[in-house]
Amino acid sequence: MNREVDYGRQWFADVVAGWNRFWFEPTDPATLGMIRICAGAMLLYTHLVWGLDLTTFFGAHGWLSPSAVSSVQEGSFTWSYLWWFESSWALWTVHVAALVVFAMLTVGLFTRVVAVLAWLAAMSYVGRATGALFGLDQINVMLAMYLAVGPSGDAFSVDRWLKERRAGGPLPVRPSWTANLAIRLIQLHMCVIYLFAGMAKLTGMAWWDGTAMWMAFGNLEYQSLDMTWMADWPRLMNLLTHVTIFWETFYVALIWPRLTRPVMLALAVPLHMGIAVCLGMMTFGLIMLVGNMAFVPPWVIRAMVPGGKSGQGRGASAGPRPNSNLGATRSRSTVAGTRPKH
Amino acid sequence: MPADNVETQAAPRAGVRALVSLLVVLHLTAVFWGPFAMPPQASELAGSGAVVLRPYVDGVGLANGYRFFAPEPGPSHLLRYELTFDDGSTREGFFPNRDEQQPRLLYHRYFMMSEFLNSLGGQGAPRERADAYAKSYADHLTHSTGAKSVKLFLRRHYVPRMPEVRAGMQLSDKALFRDEPVGTFERDAS
Repeated sequence: MNREVDYGRQWFADVVAGWNRFWFEPTDPATLGMIRICAGAMLLYTHLVWGLDLTTFFGAHGWLSPSAVSSVQEGSFTWSYLWWFESSWALWTVHVAALVVFAMLTVGLFTRVVAVLAWLAAMSYVGRATGALFGLDQINVMLAMYLAVGPSGDAFSVDRWLKERRAGGPLPVRPSWTANLAIRLIQLHMCVIYLFAGMAKLTGMAWWDGTAMWMAFGNLEYQSLDMTWMADWPRLMNLLTHVTIFWETFYVALIWPRLTRPVMLALAVPLHMGIAVCLGMMTFGLIMLVGNMAFVPPWVIRAMVPGGKSGQGRGASAGPRPNSNLGATRSRSTVAGTRPKH
Repeated sequence: MPADNVETQAAPRAGVRALVSLLVVLHLTAVFWGPFAMPPQASELAGSGAVVLRPYVDGVGLANGYRFFAPEPGPSHLLRYELTFDDGSTREGFFPNRDEQQPRLLYHRYFMMSEFLNSLGGQGAPRERADAYAKSYADHLTHSTGAKSVKLFLRRHYVPRMPEVRAGMQLSDKALFRDEPVGTFERDAS
């Protein structure tokens, strides 16, 4: 009996240690900072495009009347501050304010505050524009939320630059557990997205008979690049279809092991860029890749960014390297990162 | 790595860790439950959980199915309209329309509007929602053009099969389009 109790205790201690390591080990905020730049730019672009037809969508007698949207949102807790503004000048005032917030988020100015405001603004457009939304908007608000959770302005930002300027020189990198927390949340959210995207497709015959990708490429309204020549290559269409659904369904498992992670990330690029270039959804394809960036370790980000190693302080190359299993650092000096000794 | 180059944030205390862990578990449950309970295919269990989690799921934007191109890519849907003016003249149009909506993201917003109207007309869906959106589109069209009435049609554009394209069929072949009337709407006086 004692053996069972010991085993149970040990198991529980291992779980707690693993949990703490996974969520609370400090990490270099470089990955989060890069996601902030990319997601911020996408938020800015997305809302600049809303601005092209702002009152046409949301104004009096706009495409999306309050009564129509309310009919779908009845009983829901969806919210939007845009409901308070219908006149043209009022809509434009809050719209310009939102654009400024997204621009500030992109460059990382007063990031802690604007990250929260950016999420509130993005949510408001999603809450108001029911009927004109698609995957881009879902990922936009998801990333905006997690950028507000972590210190997304601690790397590659004006905030950081100003801080170093005030200090009179480069500052050391500041790995933080909150940066890790935000990255982990993005990672797990991406897994849920792909899991359900893959599982939902399993009910469609075209994903089994291998014609689904053709049905996407052969759709004139989506098409941005003529891929009809692929009708001559049915087995290639089958292969693309099968790879897509296997990749999506197993992403949740294969993105974690060090062995398969680079393969999964490498496959994400042609998959999402294919959607971007061939199906006219450049924004959606790119924002999915931004979400995938959460699995790129900070030291890789710093290595890829010109000046990333030196421009952000002497210790910017810090980002403890590959012993990072999940994109986070593994400093054994932290309480959270310490494995129990047995 | 020189120690003076890294200034690690202090690890959270046990109490903070416990609180954050609890919030993380609740949040991730909601992240999972959003698509898990998304209609039309959702179990009773998923539906029951959704009732509890709904305020949070809706409130932070997690009510998404993530069913991209699922269950499978199908025909696309456009909205065709016929405007009639006070002098009896008529004008036709449709959306999405690449010639009128640029850049591509704006075109996609219009594309989603016509697709959304189609999705609202699905089996078992309350008819009032589709009617409300059709009226909203019609209201915008009559007010923005000054038309006295508008007739709406949902245009379904089927995708040809690979053998048909190999045999020379174009994606824009007229045989691939079907129009279904949505309704006729008079200009609202307001």
